[in-house]
Amino acid sequence: MQDFIDNLIRSWGHDPAAWPWTQFLYLAFMGAAAFIVVNFAAISAGIFSWAERRVAARMQSRVGPNRVGPFGFLQWVADAVKLLLKEDLVPAEADAVLFRAAPYFMMVGFACVFVCLPFSHKLIVADLNIGIFYILAVTALIVVGIIMSGWSSNSKWSLFGAIRSAAQIISYEIPAGMALMIPVLLAGTLSTQGIIRAQGGWPWQWFIFDNPAAFAAFFIYFISALAEGNRTPFDLPEAESELVSGYNTEYSGMRFSYFFLVEWGNMWVMSAIATTMFLGGWQLPGLSPARFDALTGGVAVIAEIASLALFAFKTLFFVFVVMWLRWTLPRIRVDQMMNMCWKYLVPASFAGALFVAAWMLLVHEAPWLGQAMRFALTAIAAVTVAAFALRTLKNLRDTGDKFDFTSNW
Amino acid sequence: MGAYAKNVRDTAKSFWEGMSITLSYMFRKPITTQYPDRVGVPVRDTIPARYRGFLEVDMDICTACLACERACPIAVINIDVVKGDGKTRPKLNMERFDIDIGKCMYCGLCVEPCPTGAIQHTREFEGAVMHFDNLTLRFVPDPTNPIPAYKVPKGSDAFPRRPLGEITRKLIKAWDAPPPPFPSMEEAAKAKEHGAPKEGGLDPSAMGRQLAAKALSVKEDKPKLQKVLEEAMAGTDCGDCGYPDCFGYSNAIAQGKDTATDKCAPGGADSKAMLETILVTLKTGAVPAPATPAAGAVPAPATPAAAASPAPPAEAKPEAPAAPEAPASPPPAQDEIPLGTKPPPK
Repeated sequence: MQDFIDNLIRSWGHDPAAWPWTQFLYLAFMGAAAFIVVNFAAISAGIFSWAERRVAARMQSRVGPNRVGPFGFLQWVADAVKLLLKEDLVPAEADAVLFRAAPYFMMVGFACVFVCLPFSHKLIVADLNIGIFYILAVTALIVVGIIMSGWSSNSKWSLFGAIRSAAQIISYEIPAGMALMIPVLLAGTLSTQGIIRAQGGWPWQWFIFDNPAAFAAFFIYFISALAEGNRTPFDLPEAESELVSGYNTEYSGMRFSYFFLVEWGNMWVMSAIATTMFLGGWQLPGLSPARFDALTGGVAVIAEIASLALFAFKTLFFVFVVMWLRWTLPRIRVDQMMNMCWKYLVPASFAGALFVAAWMLLVHEAPWLGQAMRFALTAIAAVTVAAFALRTLKNLRDTGDKFDFTSNW
Repeated sequence: MGAYAKNVRDTAKSFWEGMSITLSYMFRKPITTQYPDRVGVPVRDTIPARYRGFLEVDMDICTACLACERACPIAVINIDVVKGDGKTRPKLNMERFDIDIGKCMYCGLCVEPCPTGAIQHTREFEGAVMHFDNLTLRFVPDPTNPIPAYKVPKGSDAFPRRPLGEITRKLIKAWDAPPPPFPSMEEAAKAKEHGAPKEGGLDPSAMGRQLAAKALSVKEDKPKLQKVLEEAMAGTDCGDCGYPDCFGYSNAIAQGKDTATDKCAPGGADSKAMLETILVTLKTGAVPAPATPAAGAVPAPATPAAAASPAPPAEAKPEAPAAPEAPASPPPAQDEIPLGTKPPPK
């Protein structure tokens, strides 16, 4: 973004280094970017809250909220207004200062992630050279907010939920981080845009299909991200059958809504990271990043919009998968969750990193092997997806129902 | 190791199956019925035919037998019957036929005894109203314009009933309809007299003597005697007496097989008094004298028509002044049982 502002200043006939208002312009653009990003996060979280209810409803043969606005789309606005107008309650025995502050820690940890999340070829707040490392670092701030809310609520349910959540997030940081190191190894950079540029537009150019370890790393990352986001089947911190609602039990009104804003907004974050690291990000098929940079005028704008749409499509698909998993899988036990992390995902992710290092040496010697593996993995994935679609269709037909996505909205 | 591999396989398979099942439901039509505004057909048309919804009375085929009112265990149904002489006005008129849907427990006991099927459960069920009083369904819209009872043609077992639900649907108030007006002082005072014999109503004692005179003249002719006896009954063929119709009961009395006079429930105390007068007359061979001193001036056996007419003021209101003034002798006291009183148990 700095380059963009410098170019803007140059176009006005000033030298960015010497012009006295440069720093103010930087500040103004930072403020504007922060405003846009935080609002994007909040609005997308709101829309996901509606989308999740509609998806959940349809998977349970229900209709879901469909009365406020077209298809009930404005339901999230109505809910937000209701939550904002509710009383901001602080329990009598709670530590009022920490209790009030905790949701903001969550919000900050969540909103900071968006600094490094790419949206399209040019659209990114700041393409830091430590991008993915920064994302992993600021996500940990959420744990602080969770522990703070659980401890300050002075309620055993809140504390249990917070401790579980902290244990879960800290545990799953390790496999998630190691799994994300595999694309970093393959791309040779930590910058999110750099990792996308190291991939390609076609599926066999994506890092997920680069080698078996990367393929596994994608799933390790996805499982860990689910756990970090407290999503089913890892929603133990808010296991309502045991803990009322977990660390946010004592919250109400706006502060309560922050916790859920973070939870739903995290769906975009985890999906966007998966898209960036493994699925080629905004890369358009048949348009290499170098040629993309060289585009000018209307074609550049169209390509930019197309790359934005493609990135959003991939991300929203994974947002849907996260919802879909939630309404399919039951919650696992705490010991199972910890077993899975420390006994399987952590060793597997380390082994994967070693394998990728060796694989890169091998491919360096025999490039045809890398190509063959890419095509083979892509073909296997395509066949799996097709088989799954057929199986789904069979499930639909076996009960005498027919494909009907449009009626009874 | 085999078990371990099997567990892994089972896990993968259950994910595969579970995910494909939930996804397949995503693309099915939800079974939700979006009541009340987004339904293809009205919901009442989709519920079973024997659903017990709001009650409905087709006044065109109601015989005013009061069987439903008596059957109701919680007094939801209120019927006011005015009796006429059968000549200038119909023998039975209904001034009021109210069903309080707010109290009704939909047991269906009123539907069972109805001889013509006039009272039925509809499939109407949407009774949301702002005011509780709006839940009272008034099947006689105007009390000043009573509805005559339906006289069942002999031997008929099918009755022309209007389509079920049509009448009740019209009576159901909009949910935000204003409540019925609060009764004025006069109306409240009038309501207190509920159950008292109506002005212009029939004088049962005079009619009883008239019928007794007639019965005396046909004492030996059983079919004719039966006709006279049937006249003393309500004539609704309700079957409450245990006989299939009024003919059965009156014939049994005429034949001397039945001596109970209190079986005609729709006729109530009036029928009982008239029947007793007739039976006493038949036994003694003389029509008993009128009850009140004022009525005594009228020679009862000689001019029965005059006695039967509602003209003599003393006869018209036997109820109100009776209690303080009348030197009540046993048989006339029977005449003074108010219309609203329940018949004695059988």
